Amino acid sequence: MSNKILGLISCNYNNEAFGSLTDERGLASLPFGGRYRLLDFPLSNMVNAGIRTIGIITPYHYRAIMDHVGNGKEWSLDRKSGGMFILPGSIYGLKNMRSTFLLRDIIQNRAFLDRAKEDYVLVSGSHKIFNMDLRPLFKQHISAGNDITMLYKPITDAENHPGTYLQLDGDKLVGLKSDEVGHANCFMDCFIINRDLLLKFIDWYKALGYIDLLDIVADSLPNLNVAGYAFGGYLGQVDNIRDYMKCSQDLLQEPVRRELFMSENKIYTKIQDNPPAKYGTHTSVKNSLFSTGCIINGTVENSILFRGVKVGEGAVIKNCVLMQKTVVEPGAVLENIICDKHVVISGGNKLFGAANKPLVISKGKNI
Amino acid sequence: MSKKEILAMLLAGGQGSRLGALTQKIAKPAVSFGGKYRIIDFSLSNCVNSGIDTVGVLTQYRPLMLNSYIGTGAPWDLDESEGGVFVLPPYATQDGGEWYNGTADAVYKNIDFIDSYNPEYVLIISGDHLYKMDYNAMLEEHKQNNAELTVSVIQVPWDEANRFGIITADDGGRIVKFTEKPAEPDSNLASMGIYIFNWSTLKQALLEDAPLADSEHDFGKNLIPMLLAQGKRLFVHAFAGYWKDVGTIDSYYQTSMELLREDSEFDILSGDQRIFSNSNIYPPHYTGENAVIENSLICNGSTVLGEVHNSIVSSEVYVGPGAKVYASILLPGAHVESGARVMRAIVGEKAVIEMNAYFGSLDEDEPIKVAGDGEHIIDDLWSRGY
Repeated sequence: MSNKILGLISCNYNNEAFGSLTDERGLASLPFGGRYRLLDFPLSNMVNAGIRTIGIITPYHYRAIMDHVGNGKEWSLDRKSGGMFILPGSIYGLKNMRSTFLLRDIIQNRAFLDRAKEDYVLVSGSHKIFNMDLRPLFKQHISAGNDITMLYKPITDAENHPGTYLQLDGDKLVGLKSDEVGHANCFMDCFIINRDLLLKFIDWYKALGYIDLLDIVADSLPNLNVAGYAFGGYLGQVDNIRDYMKCSQDLLQEPVRRELFMSENKIYTKIQDNPPAKYGTHTSVKNSLFSTGCIINGTVENSILFRGVKVGEGAVIKNCVLMQKTVVEPGAVLENIICDKHVVISGGNKLFGAANKPLVISKGKNI
Repeated sequence: MSKKEILAMLLAGGQGSRLGALTQKIAKPAVSFGGKYRIIDFSLSNCVNSGIDTVGVLTQYRPLMLNSYIGTGAPWDLDESEGGVFVLPPYATQDGGEWYNGTADAVYKNIDFIDSYNPEYVLIISGDHLYKMDYNAMLEEHKQNNAELTVSVIQVPWDEANRFGIITADDGGRIVKFTEKPAEPDSNLASMGIYIFNWSTLKQALLEDAPLADSEHDFGKNLIPMLLAQGKRLFVHAFAGYWKDVGTIDSYYQTSMELLREDSEFDILSGDQRIFSNSNIYPPHYTGENAVIENSLICNGSTVLGEVHNSIVSSEVYVGPGAKVYASILLPGAHVESGARVMRAIVGEKAVIEMNAYFGSLDEDEPIKVAGDGEHIIDDLWSRGY
């Protein structure tokens, strides 16, 4: 079944709400969870479902993403037949396009779809955090003979998550809404579509390159058989810096960690061969995650430390996310802070963010 | 096939029987070390860091784990189109099958493999030593000396010299005497079991040694003395860094514990000369609300809810609430359930210290306790002093 499905991941969109965190990288390559990047989730979900041909539409700033995925080796996508395809996104001079599934990006890479032998295309965004066995979705799509099946999660706090919501009549999609409150069906930026139909969309709408695939779906609803497929697991929604901190701290809960990382379906990422984390003699570490290569000598609480982070003696870190190779010198105090990669906080500094508005220290800063 | 300047033959067939429970199901080079490594990672990484891209790994004892661990060699960048890593187990021929009978015999039986690359030099190394070394420096010396064989040597304490192949060399570094495990050593220069041969010299020696009925087909015992007697040009290469052959449970334990010392001679934590390993992708390790971690190494995929002091915690280990681990080594996948104590002990891969069980002793006179891979240690009231 899965060999009839092609994967297509859009990374060519961004969001100003992340400030300096996405200045030099697409949202897809935002580091998350100590050693991952957001793209690892959709990419691993596809691989775990048996999809072996996956196209990745690159963002305006594509260095970080290319560095991360390489030739797809870690996802077993360095293959003779199929494998990973890097599909250049269309360039606008605008780096903060909000449109997730821009038709122009797909038109530009039409050859990838034309050449494919697969009957279906699983199209996905690149910043929703979940670990799901997608095979039941495929099965339902094929057995029900749908044109499109869209993945959603019923949530209870739609007002907190601006995005696309499905209006359903039973399984059948009757409309798409952009704002909802309370109970609503949150679209997970992931749908399966018959390849022929996607190619038809391209033909019909090619004059309007700057249109989002979802708008085409909404336009075509009366003539199509579009269904929803509900997901009941954990969905991490990272739409701004506060969400990023919240989703990071969700990982401190055992059930979330278990579902995302300890299930049979692994989330794959680039391997770096760092040594184990080293703890000194005067440490206090509570409710936190630590990655390889960390050297810990201070106090760390409710925080996520990426690879190679150093915490000096007497330093205190609470409710923080410290990305790769952050150095916190002895005696520094950090609370509600997100440090991008390679930040150095020298001794004696005391930095406090607010719990609902964490302070971001941008990449390479020396404080 | 293009000619290789040098290829490596890595001896990984030994059982390491003195490691007891640790090598019951796996060969010594496959034994876990330092949390996320296996012993063979060190010699494989040395090869790669020295630019050697073709390595034959000679396996024999319980090779399953080694075979699957080495795989395509990709984790060490040894998935090369012109070379790479080859696992070479014993094989059958028209004359029947035979095991590798000695280190030299293992190489002798793979003469065809080496010939297919037609190398100038062959590096012979062991897969069960812990060290970081740049073999290029040794090769340079080998060339400068116009040697036919260069043996890497290290100074060992005089009282341990009788455990090693002991070498006496003249001022120019030329070997004049080689004695395997001498009762009364007259030198403390020990062979590290690392040899660079001219392939022509080695091949001829292997062919000469193979038919000898009274030979044990061993590099140290037979080949090197034979070449010395023939007057070949044998030289030493002096190595000054850290090198350890962890032969026993005690030395495995001591060597592991040295990693925790600030002034540890064996520096696996620093970035230079990275040690590569074939690690699964695990999430960062989690430390619970009441976790206490002191002077320890902790690996990915682990969960620490209890206390860990002066210990090494490998990948995917679980230390339950209220559990206390002192001066111990928890190998990959080990579980220490809630309330259990582990003291000066080695807990094997996927072994379980059941709830409230006590394992090991803080008494330094007691031997290091070892729970074998997959073993379950149950709550035994006697061990808790009831």
